[in-house]
Amino acid sequence: MTDPIEILLVEDNPGDVELTREALEESKVHTRLSVARDGVEALAFLRREGAHADATTPDLILLDLNLPKKDGRAVLADIKADPVLRHIPVVVLTSSQAEQDILRAYELHANCYVTKPVDLDQFIRIVQSIEQFWFTVVKLPRTP
Amino acid sequence: MTSAPPGYTHLPALLDGIVQLAADGIISVDTDERIHLFNAGAEEIFGYAAAEVLGQRLEVLIPERYRAEHHAEHLPHFARAHETSRRMGTRQEVFGRRKSGEEFPAEVAISKVMVDGRPVYNAVVRDVTERRRHEAELRARGAALERSNAELEQFAYVASHDLQEPLRMVASYTQLLARRYQGKLDAQADKYIRFAVDGAQRMQGLINDLLALSRVGTQGKAFQSTDVGVVVQRALRWLGRAVEESGGTVDVGPMPLLVADAGQLEQVFQNLIANALKFRRPDVPPRVAVTAEPSDDDWRFAVRDNGIGFEQQFAEQIFVVFQRLHTRAEYAGTGVGLAICKKVVERHGGRIWTESVPNAGTTFFFTLPTHPPHHHP
Repeated sequence: MTDPIEILLVEDNPGDVELTREALEESKVHTRLSVARDGVEALAFLRREGAHADATTPDLILLDLNLPKKDGRAVLADIKADPVLRHIPVVVLTSSQAEQDILRAYELHANCYVTKPVDLDQFIRIVQSIEQFWFTVVKLPRTP
Repeated sequence: MTSAPPGYTHLPALLDGIVQLAADGIISVDTDERIHLFNAGAEEIFGYAAAEVLGQRLEVLIPERYRAEHHAEHLPHFARAHETSRRMGTRQEVFGRRKSGEEFPAEVAISKVMVDGRPVYNAVVRDVTERRRHEAELRARGAALERSNAELEQFAYVASHDLQEPLRMVASYTQLLARRYQGKLDAQADKYIRFAVDGAQRMQGLINDLLALSRVGTQGKAFQSTDVGVVVQRALRWLGRAVEESGGTVDVGPMPLLVADAGQLEQVFQNLIANALKFRRPDVPPRVAVTAEPSDDDWRFAVRDNGIGFEQQFAEQIFVVFQRLHTRAEYAGTGVGLAICKKVVERHGGRIWTESVPNAGTTFFFTLPTHPPHHHP
């Protein structure tokens, strides 16, 4: 059995965390989900600071935009400005459909922007297709 | 006024009677601006008795702050001019001064006539205080209405947007419950789950439609030259399946080029055609006709069907948001579609109405001006 694929979900809503977990569990790809509840925790996790000294660098980041302490846009900007972190694909997964949020996210080098659908079946399909695309379709760089 | 009609031998008396009858102030002055005539209307407006002002100079009727201007510009200009009459105060504000010293806004028409070889100036003065007050009141009311409309729209937008988040949770988890536990509990539990899922889904529909409605006002695009034929075809593309399932046809006549918000216009056609297909008679395949007819300064569009129709008494009510004529069990829908149509059409400066005969069919009409209002939000 291969190593599980590491996904970091940055999301403050426990309901959404649970839904994402459910959606990932229904898929065939073997994943391990870590969760950061706010922007500060997300960066601490990625930089293995404090309680996160043993954290694994994720293969993919699912990032909500509206987060406590440090907002998702700032987290995105920090990740993409960090030479160690910026190769990690960041999927913005948010309920915002605002044009300016979409544009801003891509300007900050988000790898893609996905709106959370209201319907559960669609949500599950979307999480699974994110997984499919990033772990079976595209080639990602090998990291040390 | 140069020749008296036959039969009037006392023309001066007749004219005098008319002058005294007029509600407007009528004043005549000579070249020295001495007042020679001051009718009852003028007495009423200015508060002077004729005897008090006859022989006085005109400037007693002009507010002090305008006297200099009056002497320097208006009178000499008019005296020199070849024109024999003009109307003042319809474009710019002219002010008169009452005996009490009070100023009032006025409209003034002036004419020059020759009497015994000397020019006489006649002024007809109308006190427009009341009218100006009404106008100001109307403007204030209009502005207040616009403000409260904008606030309401903003409120609807924010409310429906922020409601989506918690609703997504309710909907997702009832769906997840159904997914995981349908059939594993008892029949009663399955029923509860079904009601919860159905309720959450309907609420989603409502919120989405409310968002769409509030977006008409807040997120409208600028009006651009638009091929309405293309717009209708695009609307039909969304409806391909509905047309097929209904077993009916949609005929589209020649469509004009207009200046409009194409995206919003598409919503109008989509809503109206979808309704025409939806409210069909059982066993009668829907026949829908979309037509456009030009008139003086607008186009009149019609979406005609052969469906179930409705009593004409409901023709106004159905454009009100959430107003429906049928239960959801009979026909699906939230009752927002026609409200959106109305809002879009009105944003374009047109109007929308409907004519219907039960069991025969319904026609929705709307007009769009060739030149829509300019800077509408």
